Amino acid sequence: MATVHLQTDHRRFTGGEKVLQVEGDTVGALITELERRYPGLGPLLTDGASVAIGGELIPNGVFEKVDEATEVYFVAPISGG
Amino acid sequence: MTVTENPRTYKYVGTRPVRHDGLDKVTGKARFAADLDMTGQLRGAFVRSPHPHARIVSIDTGKAEAMPGVKAVVTGADFADLDPTHPEFDMAVNLMARDEALYNGHAVAAVAAVTAAQAAAAAAAVEVEYQPLPAVLTIDEATAQGAPIANPTNRTLFSGDTEPSNLASVNEFGRGDVEAGFEAADIVIEREFRTVAVHQGYIEPHACVADCGQDGRATIWASSQGHFAVRAKTAAALGWSTDRIKVVPAEIGGGFGGKTTIYLEPVAVLLSQKAARPVKIVMSREEVLRATGPAPATKITAKIGATNDGTLTTLQSTMYFDNGSTKGFGALTGAMSVASYKLPNLQLHAIGAVTNTARSAAYRAPSAPQAAFAVETLIDEVAQRLDMDPIDIRLQNAVVEGDATAMGAPHPKIGFVETLEAIKNSDHYNSPVPEGAGRGVATGFWFNIGEQSSATVNLNEDGTATVVTGSPDIGGSRASMALMAAEELGLAVDRITPVVADTESVGFTDITEGSRATFATGMAVVNACRELIDQLKARAATIKSVDVGDVEWVDGAAVIEGQDPLTIPEITAMAKKTGGPLTATASLNAAGAGPSFAVHVADVAVDEETGRTTILRYTAAQDAGTAIHPSYVEGQIQGGSVQGIGWALNEEYIYDSDGVMENAGFLDYRMPVASDLPMIDAIIVEVPNPSHPYGVRGVGETGIVPPIPTLANAIAAATGVRMNSLPMSPPRLLAAINERADG
Repeated sequence: MATVHLQTDHRRFTGGEKVLQVEGDTVGALITELERRYPGLGPLLTDGASVAIGGELIPNGVFEKVDEATEVYFVAPISGG
Repeated sequence: MTVTENPRTYKYVGTRPVRHDGLDKVTGKARFAADLDMTGQLRGAFVRSPHPHARIVSIDTGKAEAMPGVKAVVTGADFADLDPTHPEFDMAVNLMARDEALYNGHAVAAVAAVTAAQAAAAAAAVEVEYQPLPAVLTIDEATAQGAPIANPTNRTLFSGDTEPSNLASVNEFGRGDVEAGFEAADIVIEREFRTVAVHQGYIEPHACVADCGQDGRATIWASSQGHFAVRAKTAAALGWSTDRIKVVPAEIGGGFGGKTTIYLEPVAVLLSQKAARPVKIVMSREEVLRATGPAPATKITAKIGATNDGTLTTLQSTMYFDNGSTKGFGALTGAMSVASYKLPNLQLHAIGAVTNTARSAAYRAPSAPQAAFAVETLIDEVAQRLDMDPIDIRLQNAVVEGDATAMGAPHPKIGFVETLEAIKNSDHYNSPVPEGAGRGVATGFWFNIGEQSSATVNLNEDGTATVVTGSPDIGGSRASMALMAAEELGLAVDRITPVVADTESVGFTDITEGSRATFATGMAVVNACRELIDQLKARAATIKSVDVGDVEWVDGAAVIEGQDPLTIPEITAMAKKTGGPLTATASLNAAGAGPSFAVHVADVAVDEETGRTTILRYTAAQDAGTAIHPSYVEGQIQGGSVQGIGWALNEEYIYDSDGVMENAGFLDYRMPVASDLPMIDAIIVEVPNPSHPYGVRGVGETGIVPPIPTLANAIAAATGVRMNSLPMSPPRLLAAINERADG
């Protein structure tokens, strides 16, 4: 279980909910659960978002461990020039 | 000048040794891709669309193939047929058009011949029948009701829409209640800002040599920001497996984001395969400007609210970014870069538009300068109305660790306040504004990234070391890798040789972008050195017949109580007898990149008869975390500042009504030269990034973010004219000054 913060773009899948408690012990498991609850949301989180945990951007963080105290933010992918 | 929080003393990190590649660069010995010549080498040339948008009805290469010296011709039909959902589809179609030419200058065929002149002549003889199609050249045209579709393969990202669209992406994010924020504000200011496309302006045009063997494998020598990405993109465009391609990094003459993608390599490989000879392609400057990625033009509306005590209550903005001919995330990263202030109410719309202009590419802190132009100009107006110091209003609202970024995630440890204070305490800011001049201040932010890097550190027989990485050295990474290795090993930096290795000689490494090389590849180097130190301690224990736990590593030597220390040369000399060569490799996917903030101040004088702006003094402060090689950090700060100054004052793509770039050369595309500029005084602020062993943040990008609003604010202070569109070139500024006089 972790706290997941969604962007406005994601909220069309969740009926406007922006902060959710989601079951799972990795970021990937959270995405799987979110896709189960809100079909169509999963691809946005895997292909169209980066993960930030505790203020730290985690590149390709699907296997990142989470627990009840973890705040997970799905943010836009960032690269640079 | 350096302002350091909690200074740590290092022996090598923070020193300024002569760069390892310096002598070769200043003597002309360094080999760039265009310098390379192979036995039997052919020269390649492109056929480019004269139309901004056209269906390619037919291509007849017969006449060209019969011309003297011509050995091969390729068209879009020779390339892999990727599905539009493939992540490299847009790149592949951009380097060679398929059914439609999507912008003036879009490659539609290529020729290889014995000489460059023969190749150019043959390219001119390729007969292409076009059916011109309606084109959209601007954001306004692309987003107008009933606009022609610029690119029929574009679908709005993640919208679920199946129909073609001129919208590449539409995103909205924010927090709070913006309307309530405006209600609570004493001052509300709303403006529209426009910026035009500008080029990265690297001095070295794109170039490569490809040699495809009879075994179906190819070697590519290329100028790029990431040769593993060149390999992957080339493989995708050709439908090959990556093991068939080896990419050797040539020296790079600037990239600034523009060499994170490719334009030539798959074409050169195919031509080489067809001709069974090596093929070199070197773009002309005109081709670089017409057909490689500029930074996007933008249209941004922004509305800000503040209370009379200077507290910012709300920001609402709609940002349109012109992606050029394909989709991209430019608009989104622009909006995300609005991350510097504690805005309780924030609403950002980010919209990417597709037009029939060259596909845009990353440019140093991609999209942040345009967004900062809007936000930092509005904050300056608020400060002016409240008669507040422009630094003080920013200090009052500045984000600190734990405050929310634009997308909600909290900032990690950052040094924005320290950077603002560095400028506030600077000699420049505390000096009077010259008579008749104006002073402007603005700030900038960039995220920086980590990503994947690899490093191998080899100790040689004589105790010298070779540090091998896969990060092309764009801005001094050889020196910074050597310095971190020196600090770890306790080995003098001039006894370390940093090497950028090809794709078969070092582990996978992501592109040098996002200011990541010194951060992420540096971490790989540090990890490899620490592994090597464990090996050195074990060898010392063997030599001295003690337990490895009794060995410490101190200042480049194995120290065992009661015995003479063993130095690295003494241990490597015994390597053959103690287990063989000493080498260590580390690879990682680096997390914890440290965001960087910059604050700039400029004094300008404006000639109100000509509209020319002269920069009298310019000071730039930036949080580097820790400056591994301060001279390089200062160079990055100065370079970013100068590019931003050019963007602000002169640079612009000028298109005619047919989408033809009218100023595709450095005579007419006006970049700043030394005589246009004062010395850029750089202040390095050091608030270490706790996620890096030496506290490194990236420094390459943030410096380009503040100059546009800094100069816009300075010009406003000097003339009373607010320039909300770029460039603030003499004719445009003169017109605005005259309009003020008329008004």
